[in-house]
Amino acid sequence: MTMRRIVVVGNGIAGLTACDSLRSAGFDGELTVVGAERHHPYSRPALSKALLHGVNGNGDDGLQAHELPEPTHEATELLGVNVSGLDVEARVVRLDGGGELPYDGLVIASGSRAKRLAPTEGAREPRDDGFAPELTLRTIEDAITLKQRVAARPSVIVVGGGPLGMEVASGCLQAGCDVTLVSDVQPLSRQLGDHLSGMFTAAAARRGLRVVGGGKARLIDFDEGAGFDAGARVVLADGTQLEADLVVTAIGDEPNTGWLAGSTLLVDGSLRVDTRGRLRPEIVAAGDVASFPTRRGVQRVPLWTSAIDQAKVAAVGLLRGDAAPELNFQPYFWTEGFGLSLKSVGFTPVAGAPDYREPGKDPESMLLRWENGDGSGTAAAVNYRIPIPKLRRLADVGPGALRLAAPVSV
Amino acid sequence: MRIELDRPRCEGHGLCEEAAPRLMHLDDDGELLIDVPEVDGADLDAAKAAVRVCPVAALRLAAA
Ligand SMILES: Cc1cc2nc3c(=O)[nH]c(=O)nc-3n(C[C@H](O)[C@H](O)[C@H](O)COP(=O)(O)OP(=O)(O)OC[C@H]3O[C@@H](n4cnc5c(N)ncnc54)[C@H](O)[C@@H]3O)c2cc1C
Ligand code: SF4
Repeated sequence: MTMRRIVVVGNGIAGLTACDSLRSAGFDGELTVVGAERHHPYSRPALSKALLHGVNGNGDDGLQAHELPEPTHEATELLGVNVSGLDVEARVVRLDGGGELPYDGLVIASGSRAKRLAPTEGAREPRDDGFAPELTLRTIEDAITLKQRVAARPSVIVVGGGPLGMEVASGCLQAGCDVTLVSDVQPLSRQLGDHLSGMFTAAAARRGLRVVGGGKARLIDFDEGAGFDAGARVVLADGTQLEADLVVTAIGDEPNTGWLAGSTLLVDGSLRVDTRGRLRPEIVAAGDVASFPTRRGVQRVPLWTSAIDQAKVAAVGLLRGDAAPELNFQPYFWTEGFGLSLKSVGFTPVAGAPDYREPGKDPESMLLRWENGDGSGTAAAVNYRIPIPKLRRLADVGPGALRLAAPVSV
Repeated sequence: MRIELDRPRCEGHGLCEEAAPRLMHLDDDGELLIDVPEVDGADLDAAKAAVRVCPVAALRLAAA
């Protein structure tokens, strides 16, 4: 079937990459991208890093750290518009407020949102005086709110010991806040494994981070506590109560699939694409919203380069069907905080100590490699500048790859 | 168009190199080198892709 009209739902990096890739694959028909956020795509990873930590190489306050160059794909952009539904049979996307967009091809790139502790919608609303019981970090607006609150050096409770929680904790410590991180396991161990997690946790402790475990955290409703105007409270399953001026939660993300509820595309609530990003011949999905086949099973991998790689494949999958290349997914992940910067290639968490270690210029700088049980390799650079293609070769081939000259591209 | 690098911003992720290996590469110290700064035609598409993937927005395309 010829595709004359393609609609992209979601204006994050997956939506942007899909538009760019459709154009470079030769699609010159009508392209429309609908996005709930009023902005052009920006870099979310920068929100918890340069923007929150307030420094940029340029010595500015980091407030522009997230900005990406303006799109050049010449799609019609409907920004600040929410898609409310999809009719798969009629091939139309329904917009909030009543409009409809017919399509020949559809790209679902609606991403995900922050999970919250607060159970009910009501509890999420800021009070009249603007006090929000629970901050999360997903959008640029969230980031600016957090940065403003942190500037007054409040005491902070961060709930969640994943990369985002750790980056937020690092940013708050750097701003001079007293920070308690709530995590049942050693922070980052679920994502990275004990070895790398140990390095970050030790660096965090040296900078004054307090880590508290005690089971599932619950936000105490602000009506429950008397004289509680000054702050927020969190109670853990074992009864531990914590109080601070500010609670920031970073307990994971959930895919934005609400608008697909009546569409028959969801299987057990998730959007499972094939190796070419397809749900049906005329519908593809990419980015944080999608579950896709990897060496470690069908899963969501809500990361920046994952979104980009998926979107490239999905765009071509939509145009060329079975003739399109399949996704060969190899994770690339980075995080920074507490003076450490990590880049890793390959699946994590990694078990145990690394099989290979090469020291860098200072004691905290090193290259590491793990041989995984499934025969794949994972390579990590800690405070070590290395071209990522080279880090990939280290992951794939092993240390021998480092001594070979890099292939010359012609 | 001309590819411009805001060097202090660049964190050496090298995602740009993966998108446009003909136009730029990270040297052994992880410093990004723009090998082909002036781009047009097919190179321009690759350059745009490179500019877009950089998570710290260290690259920009400017009118030559
Ligand atoms: C603070 C933070 C730090 C991060 N750091 C890293 C990192 O260091 N490394 C890394 O690899 N990854 C990181 N990530 C993850 C990475 O940013 C995401 O994986 C990536 O941005 C996902 O892009 P996406 O386009 O799939 O989704 P999104 O960026 O969520 O974009 C989806 C867009 O669709 C819109 N939308 C949703 N529903 C609708 C609807 N019904 N109608 C219209 N529009 C809709 C949303 O408003 C949103 O703008 C970080 C994420 C955050 C929040
Ligand atoms: S992707 Fe960005 S940060 Fe990474 S090397 Fe290229 S310019 Fe530098």
